[in-house]
Amino acid sequence: MSRKPYQPSMPADWWLKHPAYRFYMLREATVLPLLFFIGSLLYGLYCLSQGEASWLVWLSWLQQPWVMALNGLALVASLFHAFTFFRLFPQVMPLRVGSRTLPAGWMIAGQWFGVLLVFLALWWLLGAYHVIN
Amino acid sequence: MSLTKRFQRSDEPIWWSLFSAGGVCVAMLIPALIVLLVFGPSLGLLSPDTLSYQRISTLLYHPLGLMFIGAVIILPLFHAMHRIHHGLHDLQWAHSALAKWLCYGSALLLSFLALSLWLLGR
Amino acid sequence: MKQPETKPSDMQHLSVAIQRYRPEQDDTPVWQSYQVPYDDSTSVLDALHWIKEHQDSSLTYRWSCRMAICGSCGVMVDGTPKLGCKTFLRDYPQGLKVAALANFPIEKDLVVDMSRFLQHLTTIKPYLIGEPSLVQAGSASAGSDQPSSAALQPQLQSPEQVKRYQQFANCINCGLCYSACPQFGLNPEFLGPAAIALAHRYNLDSRDQGKAERQPALNSKDGVWSCTFVGFCSTVCPKGVDPAAAINQGKIVSTMDGVIQWFSPKQLDATPQEPTS
Ligand code: SF4
Ligand code: FES
Repeated sequence: MSRKPYQPSMPADWWLKHPAYRFYMLREATVLPLLFFIGSLLYGLYCLSQGEASWLVWLSWLQQPWVMALNGLALVASLFHAFTFFRLFPQVMPLRVGSRTLPAGWMIAGQWFGVLLVFLALWWLLGAYHVIN
Repeated sequence: MSLTKRFQRSDEPIWWSLFSAGGVCVAMLIPALIVLLVFGPSLGLLSPDTLSYQRISTLLYHPLGLMFIGAVIILPLFHAMHRIHHGLHDLQWAHSALAKWLCYGSALLLSFLALSLWLLGR
Repeated sequence: MKQPETKPSDMQHLSVAIQRYRPEQDDTPVWQSYQVPYDDSTSVLDALHWIKEHQDSSLTYRWSCRMAICGSCGVMVDGTPKLGCKTFLRDYPQGLKVAALANFPIEKDLVVDMSRFLQHLTTIKPYLIGEPSLVQAGSASAGSDQPSSAALQPQLQSPEQVKRYQQFANCINCGLCYSACPQFGLNPEFLGPAAIALAHRYNLDSRDQGKAERQPALNSKDGVWSCTFVGFCSTVCPKGVDPAAAINQGKIVSTMDGVIQWFSPKQLDATPQEPTS
């Protein structure tokens, strides 16, 4: 008997069709608000290079409601990215101590602890630098 | 069929390495930076003079500031453009060589811009 | 074949929609609904058996072991790849939809053509490739009655060495991970989760020397680099193989391989020629 296999093709909206795919696309989309924050930083870098007056313009631009809202979204996105990224780390680089692999939970907790440390360090740097200077 | 195939080494290791390094930076540094820079003043985490022109230019134009630019602008740029490049393929919008070079090219261009701005300001 | 103990009329019924494709009459798959009696122990495979026996003998599907070992009963249940024999109707109180595994050509009803997957499996040489000296010693001794001692050396492995690859050796070739993978759906040339997991399994095996033969395929764009870590393959795998972990560990291996190639003095043949046949 002759064959007549049906060839399926990926629908354009395949990524909407399953919770796992929606989660994946949401993860990938975290870079969109991130790009806005990177843009904000580039704008800040430009303003800083133009002198004090323009630096103050940037600081107040950063406090505009719509800018704050988009950067707030970037914050949520970066935290969501961190949540997914930290979970992948033990899969990609399982750390072996002797013959045993470090439990994934420890590695994930360690990375969140790192986020906290970075926050404290940056806070200290921004807040305490002029005390030393 | 597959036995006669010649495989060509992909250049993805370069972009994937930059993407991964950027991913670490975004996860580790960006949340803290947004909280402090955007919400710090209104939350009272920072006193008004801590973000003064004097202090920030001294901090940022220090040679170590260049590392900071790399970690919060350049690597995250490559991280973002890598995901956009693959996202375009996933959405079946574009997966030409042109799309690829537009993605990584813009990351390169904006990185170059960041470096020039830093040198300009010093 | 397993039959429910109580009379079907006494049992609860559930609506099971099945995607049919009868090549002699259909051009695209069509849905058909059946009312199937079930209890707590009725699997999707049992339901298919019941339909075939009582309602439509033309329903076509694959199965063999009924115990999640042979890997032949893979189907989509409500859009998620599952083993029919390991999925139970009791978990779908609203009814369920059963379709052929996604991303493969459908031969008939729930039977798909897996040859692409099998082809990718052969590409990565999923078998132990020994040290050339040992193989030579083995074949040289084949004719003589005095086998060389080298060929007879047992290849010992410590429990630690087994542990390194064991997880990736549990694959039953069910193909669920290929149905879960959008990258395979978008690009059927992608070697895919199970094949790459198996390549990784042999590359991690202390008795194996075949990494150099497998690496060119893995290093290519259709190798590990088609993966974007969707991770759904690892979620659906019924054997806990975690192919996504294998592929992404493979990305590190491939990157290191590239760096070594870059710095090695002989750059002439960066991509070793595959044996042609
Ligand atoms: S890796 Fe898991 S899902 Fe994929 S073929 Fe093997 S057993 Fe099936
Ligand atoms: S029948 Fe063998 S795995 Fe389901």
